[in-house]
Amino acid sequence: MFLPLIAVPLLLAGSALAVFTDEAWNVDYHYALLGHPKQSTSFFHQPNPSSRASLIFTLSEEGVLGAINPRDGAVVWRQVLLPGASAHNASFLRAGEGQDVVISGIGSQVAAWSAGDGRQAWSLDVNGPVEDVEILELVDGKDASGAKDAVALSGGDHPLVQRLDGATGAVKWQHQLGGTDAPYQVSASTTEVFAISLHKTILGYLKLKVTSLDPVTGHKTDEHMLSSENELATAETIVTVGANSASPIIAWTDSAHSVLKVNIMGTKGISSFEIEKHDGQAVERVELHAPYHLNSLSHFLVHYQTATSHWAEVFHVDLKNGKVGKAYSLPKLSGRGAFSTSTSDANVYFTRVTRNEVMTVSSASHGILGRWSVDGFNVAAGEGEEIEPIHAVSDVSVRGDTVSAVRSAVLLSTGDWVLLRDGSPVWDRPEMLASTVSATFASPAEMETLVQQLEAEAHSNPIQAYIHRVSRHLHDLQRLPSFILSLPQKIVQGFLGTSADGGIATDSFGFHQIIACATKDGRLVAVDAGNPDKVLWNQQVADLQPGQIWQPSVSSPRGGVIEISSKASAGVQYNASSGEQLASILPIDLAADQTAQEVKYTMHDGGLEATVDSSTTWHFMPTSGERIVSLVPRPVNDPVASIGKVLGDRRVLYKYLDPNLALLVTANDAARAATFYVLNTVSGAILYSNVHSGVDVSSPIASMLSENWFTYSFTAEALGDSPKGHQLVVGELFESLVANDRGLLSSTANYSSMQTGTEPFTLTKIYQIPEAVSKMAVTRTRQGITSRQLLAVLADSSAVVGIPYGVLDPRRPINRDPSKDEQAEGLVRYSPVIDFDPKWYLNHQREVVGVKDVITSPALLESTSLLFAYGLDIFGTRLSPSFSFDVLGKDFNKFQMLATVAALAVATFVVAPLVMRKQVNSRWQFM
Amino acid sequence: MATQFPPPPPPQWLRDLTATSTPAKPKSSSIPDPPGFTSTTALTTKQSKASASKALTPRKQPSPEEMDTLKLKKAWELALAPAKQLPMNAIGMYMSGNSLQIFSIMMVFMLFKGPITAVLNIQGTFQRLETDSNRQQMLLVKAAFVGCNLLALALGLWKVNGMGLLPTTRSDWLAWETAREPLERAYYVPS
Repeated sequence: MFLPLIAVPLLLAGSALAVFTDEAWNVDYHYALLGHPKQSTSFFHQPNPSSRASLIFTLSEEGVLGAINPRDGAVVWRQVLLPGASAHNASFLRAGEGQDVVISGIGSQVAAWSAGDGRQAWSLDVNGPVEDVEILELVDGKDASGAKDAVALSGGDHPLVQRLDGATGAVKWQHQLGGTDAPYQVSASTTEVFAISLHKTILGYLKLKVTSLDPVTGHKTDEHMLSSENELATAETIVTVGANSASPIIAWTDSAHSVLKVNIMGTKGISSFEIEKHDGQAVERVELHAPYHLNSLSHFLVHYQTATSHWAEVFHVDLKNGKVGKAYSLPKLSGRGAFSTSTSDANVYFTRVTRNEVMTVSSASHGILGRWSVDGFNVAAGEGEEIEPIHAVSDVSVRGDTVSAVRSAVLLSTGDWVLLRDGSPVWDRPEMLASTVSATFASPAEMETLVQQLEAEAHSNPIQAYIHRVSRHLHDLQRLPSFILSLPQKIVQGFLGTSADGGIATDSFGFHQIIACATKDGRLVAVDAGNPDKVLWNQQVADLQPGQIWQPSVSSPRGGVIEISSKASAGVQYNASSGEQLASILPIDLAADQTAQEVKYTMHDGGLEATVDSSTTWHFMPTSGERIVSLVPRPVNDPVASIGKVLGDRRVLYKYLDPNLALLVTANDAARAATFYVLNTVSGAILYSNVHSGVDVSSPIASMLSENWFTYSFTAEALGDSPKGHQLVVGELFESLVANDRGLLSSTANYSSMQTGTEPFTLTKIYQIPEAVSKMAVTRTRQGITSRQLLAVLADSSAVVGIPYGVLDPRRPINRDPSKDEQAEGLVRYSPVIDFDPKWYLNHQREVVGVKDVITSPALLESTSLLFAYGLDIFGTRLSPSFSFDVLGKDFNKFQMLATVAALAVATFVVAPLVMRKQVNSRWQFM
Repeated sequence: MATQFPPPPPPQWLRDLTATSTPAKPKSSSIPDPPGFTSTTALTTKQSKASASKALTPRKQPSPEEMDTLKLKKAWELALAPAKQLPMNAIGMYMSGNSLQIFSIMMVFMLFKGPITAVLNIQGTFQRLETDSNRQQMLLVKAAFVGCNLLALALGLWKVNGMGLLPTTRSDWLAWETAREPLERAYYVPS
């Protein structure tokens, strides 16, 4: 009984925190993502050469280098090498055998990272973009114990081959590749370094030029052109330019994929192999898989892929006579397949992953060493969609002559990265979410059907409504058996206080909202905000050509429906719970009130243009030299609980509430100034404007408008006596600055902005903030009663902070302490610097990297707002800016309460006879 | 004096049963009754002793006029009693502060309940003191009683106002004011 007493002061201390310790890691969720892994930059590697435990390393299309624990899929470490990278950026990741560093090359930087903890060992900026990085597996006497050197090939105006010291990154030698040839790749054998560049012939075809360099001195030893005739039209048909192996090879095909040509580097001979046609279908893709180690057998596998099937052929290189010969072929299977190469000592194993099975063969013979069937990848996919493996990396453990186990990290066509251990999925990482471009909250369709049925009952006549209700209840009775079955478990869980939130159907708090994310590669992925461990559904919604950029906007026009619209296509709607496409398209602005006249405005020719019934009403053109940075309209659904602010003496300051407000930000690059306008978007009137000079226009300018206040932040340059710093400006619009005065329009029921233009009175305050804000959002609750928090994304510290509005309030008194009335309002003295309180960091210990945008949605509980941040990482949490006043927290001890009630009941039953007896006795006993 | 033996006392249970109104005097008590108290048992059983020890002179009954004056005096006392409590109440209210706490709320509640119930029970309060002859004067007394209670009520109102529970300011009626409806709505159409 003393324990609760001790707990009381602890709980009181806890209530001062913004993120409660019992809620951290519990109500929030975070996917630490890497992005789309690339085949060429993903591998298993042992970070500590002395131990056998290996990690999966990858450098993703998003430019993130990371190490994954193959046991549970958790990120061991990661580094964002190139923020905002895309699939077009060439990137390289190499690990030397038995080395504890991995060497990356992306952009114009080559860097080495400690494989175990991700610390940078060294980095080097090469002139021009990095074209290739290789590790020199040289076995010369003096360097045998130390770090292995790297060879980097850089492009640009002066293509260079550089040998970098493995321990320090210092350039040991460099060789300039002369001429106009485009550098393509670098490769190393035991004795030579080969630099391959593409030479353009007069006819526009490409020829491969191989330059051999001495690895010790960097001097050119040989240079020759490979006679590729007129086969190479683009660099894309070069299948591979061999990596580190005993005999590096170059392989290419013609554009029709009819013939495969292979050259062993350092020789001039070219072996040519016909690619046989299967079922008359064109081969779409030819890939070559070869081991990466010098001491492994020089065998390689060529993987052919058509639209419906795939097969592979294994070739052996005869080192003595420099000939390439086909050894055996793996049979054709339908669907797509992924091959991966693993080595064990000198033996080479190829693992084939198809949608049905995983099997491993040795490179020496076609006998199957291990075969496991795959029952499913255990990931969400669209209806009727076949989940196909795209690429895989494998780790084979060999016992004797057989393969005892194989682990494969497979990228699936759904964008999930899964690990198969002997054919059964162990974990999956939803890496497709790392490329989310647009997201929205939607309420589940199950909730909506009940609402619709209740509405139908309300609108029909009483008898029909009664029949409808009875039939609905009869229908509900079908769920009774399962409900009764789950009842004991529910009671036990409720009694122990361990009850997890129910499913979507029984969600009474509105925490289970569906978040639909449209990803870069044309998929729509749905996550349940209340149960974020699992992807609900994952659907291909757009067929994109390679290289095509998709800029969709996802929205939820009404509950249970998700709508995607992009430039190319009008809105397509999907059921939020199942992902099914809805046949009937609803009008977009169903929620809009029908009585009001509609004004539509859009960005046009660098300005704004508004139309009413297709006739232009107003134009907004920034002055010359200015460009529009952003436009933030007030949200369509922005409930406001009170139209005024109650002052400390109980008078009222009326807010200027107009749904047609927008905050427009323009920047002048030449004058280094930014202008902020608050516009009335019906009349086009400028209600407020402010120019800030000395603004760093290249850094992000975040802005936000909600209710009757706006805020923006920018980076100010050092100017005169003011230092460089980040500033946050908050402005609040009032009808009148005189209390109890409702302005010119007084209490009229409606107004037209076209006829009567009232101007607000604006109070602003500028604050210095310690960090640049890259994006702003605001919490939203169901009725707008709860106080607001400004959500600011801090890109530099990978964090999201929630700043309470009270801190930003423009009515904070300057140069004096607040009066008693102001204190009653909660106003504190103005201080020009806002330090981000560590309690405001919503991500607490988590590192939320690369957040591009934050969206919020009200829950059914008034106190709570849901947050979802996307970009590279996915982060979501529940916020209660005024604390959770309408729901019991986790700290509420249900068991203690029940025990108290039970104890009281027992006491009553025990004491009642005693008291009764005493009363009777007192009647009968005198003195 | 011939020795007279009293009849044997009835058994205890019978005495308990018959003695309904007066509580039984403890047997073991050796404390004498206070002067002027004549217990019924003493009157019946020990009359001779009592008459010998005390000389009781019967009081002279007051005249009806004197009675009226006395009753009026008593009535004025009753009527002015709430006014006498006012300063104490006022101090109590002042001390309890204007914050909304259970203690101050209870005090304010009692402050309202007292005068209202007193005014409602005014007839009962003065019934014993009212006679046909002093009815005219009693009206004035009752008016004074109501007035004093109203003063106490006013104190309560002052207190409630101090606590901010009276809807006298603009903010109290803010919830009934509605936002103005715009006749136009603007929508941003991304180009």
